[in-house]
Amino acid sequence: MHRSKNQRDTSVQSRLDRRNFLQGLGVSLALPMLESWGVPIAAASQASNPVKRIVCVGTYLGFHQSDFFPEQTGRRYDMPYVLEPLAGFRDRFSIFSGLDHRGRNGHEGWQAWMSGSATGSVSMDQLVAEHVGHHTRYASLQLTCGKPPDVARLSFSKEGVALPMMGRPSVLYQTLFRSDSDRSRLEYVLRGNGSLLDDVLEESRKLKRKVSRRDQGKVDEYLASVRDVEKMVQKQEVWLGKPFPKTNYALPPFDPVSPDQSLECESLMYDLMALALSTDSTRVITFLVPGWSQVFEIDGRRLSAGYHGLSHHGNDPKKIADYNLVGREHVKRFARFVRKLEEHQDSHGQSLLQSTAIVYGSGMGDSNTHDNSNLPSLVAGGGFSHGHHWASDRSASHARMLGDLLLTLMQGMGMEIDSFAGASHNLNEQLS
Amino acid sequence: MKWKVCLYWSFVASGLLIGESPPPGIKLFLQQYCHQCHAGRDDALEGGVRLEIDSLDWKSAQTLDLWTTIHEVVESGDMPPEDADAFPAAKQRKSLLEWLEAELVNHAPPGGTVPRRLSRVEYQNTIRDLFDYPEFELPPSFPSDVSNLGFDNVASGLVMSPPLMAQYLEIATAIANEWIPEPTQLPRVQPRSYRVTPSDLNTDEGGGGKAAEAAFRLVSSRNMASAAGWTGSFEAPYSGNYQLKIDACTFQTDDMFYEKRTRPFQLQVYARQNGQEKYARFSDLRLVGEVFISASGAPSLGNALEIEMDAGEILGLRWADGPIYSDPGRIDLSHAFLEDRLLNDRAFYAAALELNGGKRGSSQVEFYGAIRELMERQTLDLSDPALAHSPEVYGGGLFNGPHNWCKAYAQEEMHRQGPALDVLGLSITGPNLVMLSQKAREKIKRSRDFLGRHSSELTDVDFAERFLRGFLTKAFRFPVEEGQLSQYVEMVQTHRADFPKKRIEDALHLAVRRVLISPQFLFREIGNGGLGAYELASRLSYFLNGSAPDDLLMSAANSDRILQPERLEAEARRLLQKASRKQFVKHFTGQWLATRKLKDIMPDPRLLKFYEPDRQSIIEEVELFFDEMLHHNRPLEDFIDPGFSFRNINLNKIYGGTLTESAMQRVSFPKGGTQGGLLGLAAIMMATANGVDTHPVHRGVWLLENVFGQPTAPPPPGVPAIAPDTSGARSMREQMTRHASDSNCARCHKKIDPLGFVMEQFDPVGRWREHYPIYTEDASQTLKEEFYANQGRGTRLGSRIDASATLADGTVIGDVRDLKAYLLGHMDLLTRCLIEKLMVYSLGRKLSFGDRRVLQQLTAEATQSQYGLQDVILAVILSDSFKAR
Repeated sequence: MHRSKNQRDTSVQSRLDRRNFLQGLGVSLALPMLESWGVPIAAASQASNPVKRIVCVGTYLGFHQSDFFPEQTGRRYDMPYVLEPLAGFRDRFSIFSGLDHRGRNGHEGWQAWMSGSATGSVSMDQLVAEHVGHHTRYASLQLTCGKPPDVARLSFSKEGVALPMMGRPSVLYQTLFRSDSDRSRLEYVLRGNGSLLDDVLEESRKLKRKVSRRDQGKVDEYLASVRDVEKMVQKQEVWLGKPFPKTNYALPPFDPVSPDQSLECESLMYDLMALALSTDSTRVITFLVPGWSQVFEIDGRRLSAGYHGLSHHGNDPKKIADYNLVGREHVKRFARFVRKLEEHQDSHGQSLLQSTAIVYGSGMGDSNTHDNSNLPSLVAGGGFSHGHHWASDRSASHARMLGDLLLTLMQGMGMEIDSFAGASHNLNEQLS
Repeated sequence: MKWKVCLYWSFVASGLLIGESPPPGIKLFLQQYCHQCHAGRDDALEGGVRLEIDSLDWKSAQTLDLWTTIHEVVESGDMPPEDADAFPAAKQRKSLLEWLEAELVNHAPPGGTVPRRLSRVEYQNTIRDLFDYPEFELPPSFPSDVSNLGFDNVASGLVMSPPLMAQYLEIATAIANEWIPEPTQLPRVQPRSYRVTPSDLNTDEGGGGKAAEAAFRLVSSRNMASAAGWTGSFEAPYSGNYQLKIDACTFQTDDMFYEKRTRPFQLQVYARQNGQEKYARFSDLRLVGEVFISASGAPSLGNALEIEMDAGEILGLRWADGPIYSDPGRIDLSHAFLEDRLLNDRAFYAAALELNGGKRGSSQVEFYGAIRELMERQTLDLSDPALAHSPEVYGGGLFNGPHNWCKAYAQEEMHRQGPALDVLGLSITGPNLVMLSQKAREKIKRSRDFLGRHSSELTDVDFAERFLRGFLTKAFRFPVEEGQLSQYVEMVQTHRADFPKKRIEDALHLAVRRVLISPQFLFREIGNGGLGAYELASRLSYFLNGSAPDDLLMSAANSDRILQPERLEAEARRLLQKASRKQFVKHFTGQWLATRKLKDIMPDPRLLKFYEPDRQSIIEEVELFFDEMLHHNRPLEDFIDPGFSFRNINLNKIYGGTLTESAMQRVSFPKGGTQGGLLGLAAIMMATANGVDTHPVHRGVWLLENVFGQPTAPPPPGVPAIAPDTSGARSMREQMTRHASDSNCARCHKKIDPLGFVMEQFDPVGRWREHYPIYTEDASQTLKEEFYANQGRGTRLGSRIDASATLADGTVIGDVRDLKAYLLGHMDLLTRCLIEKLMVYSLGRKLSFGDRRVLQQLTAEATQSQYGLQDVILAVILSDSFKAR
């Protein structure tokens, strides 16, 4: 039954000693309340491999393609209107046109952005989380602004379950910088759960002796599952035992989660993402920048229609102009995030941008016609060689796909993977 | 032959079997009549089945499965096949069957259910009942169960996995947090003042609220997403009382369509958690207060309200008594009034039609502007015959349907010309009194009801024991044993010793979590020997009500009374009267009659306009039909030719009725027709097609498995599927001629194809048809919105359907009516099929040889005595199989 306090402490200690066995498991589960926690790893092995991180940011309502893709390919392209806020970084990112998954059209097709054309298959970020998630408290974070439309999904677990996204800055803040009281409650609950799992293990071992040979298989299934979950709880306990980072960053006293306030929310989320990376709380982040029918006011002017309406601009130049204004606002905030990463040096003396590969774009190709080919795609940082616009000819026999770009990023993370989302090439050449 | 068994054989075959040697006569029989196809090289084995058998281990489940199947196929005459080189004499078959039957009766009595984990649905229902928590929903991340033998509640398919266990633990913790909350302390805070200016207010969905300078303009609205103002930048920092002061004035002009109002305008204030559901109606939100603003138009300042807010809530302002979109129950002018005014205005109607309700990308403002422009230009053709049609025939566009065109137009008009209510600003001060949030107060009350009242006369241990005795019994569906109770009490005491600062309630929090992850809660039927009284009660309750036994059933299990057949029958009858029999109806038909598949099928819009309520009605028809069969114990013949069904207005488009209500009602039609029953329900026709076209093989296979009770093997690997030719050039019948010419195909397809051909007269949504459709539009080339505007008009008539067929036994069928007559003349087929499905669903196991004998006996009884559906269910419950573990 329930052990005394001293015994429990010993047991936690022995679990700590066993942690080497747990390396590489990096199980990540979509749990309703607790996030998926990484497995701790000894500091020594961290030093030998350079730290690699990945961030995927996608806007739900896309961009106007001809104002996102440059007219010229190669190095000497004219900066497109929507990307102008990034002009100061032009040698630290690359633009890719002509890439997509050859997948479904429409808003539902957006879901395949990081996973390929089959909805419900695992997304790239979750494969990366499996690879690097054990280094950090959180194997990955899934973010958005407020409560996006139900079909807006980005990350999918290996089981094909769409992972829930955090949409409130205050919740993300709490996750990253847990208060002591919050933490002690969690610790208490986790310890309780750990001891309960021990108890039911014991109980079912006894049960197993009582049941027929035929039924023992079922009890074994239960035992094995309990043991696995016990390991997961142990990992959570270990991370909870490590102090949470501190910060001076202050959030406003309210969460700007109404659609009208979504640009404000987007800025806060980027700030917190930079903090999540700089405190090494996670190395994998996905961020879905949502869009509804909210009517934005930009530079003191109310736009001519709601955001979703603008995205169906019907080639009306006035609407395209307003649609682009919103696109530029997104890119402005993204550029500020890129600057923050560049200014922050990690413990190895390299900038965070250097160690973080960011893919920025959208799962929506042409929002006006709901066409999901030629997805806007841009890659920044990650230690790659940048500065080009690469155009892929979709009609060519070995035309590259978005999956090839994602493969390149995964290979850049040191993963041994050579096919993903229907693609089996890569774009290493274009990024070196 | 059972294909599932075939797959199983392949690995049985390779294993070395230990045990007694088969009698020489049996070995000889196998050699002479089976080895031609079932011996030799692995890759030459027919169906992967090897029948070179040197020893028999009757304890092995695989041996039992193998020989049960041998018995079945030899008895039915399926094996050896007609075209075999050597065929046994009747005497030889008989002696094989007699020997085998004696062995199997001995070694495979009724029974064989392994411990059954609660299925997803059962778990959800059980939690709901255990905690009296009907709103409980599993999170979307909760793993789903797999279907095994056609159902998702069969024990062998209900595997336990680490992700599932993790969810059980998470849910256990979350529920314990809800039912036994932590004590909350009220924070000490000083009240503060906040000012919310008009520009701080926002709408959820754009709307027009911000159109006015220095004010936030409210027009009347029911949906809070549009035309209501929210304090997105003021979120109550603490739960408690706040003082709210509202500055506002009314806005009316001489250009208004409406008469000027003199009575005050009603301004309501609502609260909701920030970031919650945006599209809720006001009627679903918490009203915190209201003020009345004088209609004079002069600023009315400082209208004060004392309000209670929970931490994290924001406030929403709404003009509640405007001319359109009032609360339900009040005079709602919206539809009648607007239609009268706008749709009878030919100029408006013509303009709105010309715009087709507005294109994607336009806003309410633009829609209004475009209509005004068209009306003022006066170039509209007011004699256009399109104007003669009633608004119901039009849909599509941004503002879907004429009601919404009117709404969009009228709201924008009110923005510009009034009447409207201008909010000039809010002042909020607080919290003046800090309180627990309403949710926290509810939790405390609920917790007291759940744990029972603690008093000074009780020790903590007595308090805990009293709660645990009741809770463990209910959760484990078995009276808690003293030994187990004392283990839990001990656990509570240890917790107290370990955490002296925690309350006794915290120890019970731990105990509740433990219960919810323990095998006794998550599994049923763990144990040895015959099924005990409480296990039987659970089996009965999960079968008929989809959840744990209720109190009456638990007391019937007490002192084993339920083991008496009369008592068992009485309880079964009682459970079949309960409202929760809907769980059985829903999940049994959902799987047997495939209605669960419908959620994944979207009929092609070129065929017809199809909306979510249509799908619901189609499913409801099946459930109501089955429930009527059950409730009134109707004869099983009525599954084939009932002469009645349940319909509503949505189903007119399928069956061509003239109903006017959306409520389902019972309708009668003459027996002997094409309508109704398993061979006429739209749900089944839809589930056995793909929304675009029909395929005779799919429907044939389905009927064989679910009506005839003769499932077929899947096609051998590498056989390409035949796709219907929607250009109409070649009929399916022509494409399928090879099935008859190739003897490998013919073995199954001579059974499958005739049934499929007969069903071709039902289109992919279950409408009766005489001709195949030819699709005239290419869906992929059309923009979605245009496409929807034209839906239901994308086909023309193709070739005539030939529904005649010759069944495997030579019966000639003209159309589905003949097939119904055939089934009515062979009622043992459906009877046996249904009883088998009911047995698998209720017992949760693959039927053993003993179970099959029971099935045979029940089928004979039921056919002879013309049982009704309820009789059949009761017979299953009273059978030996139901009592066997």
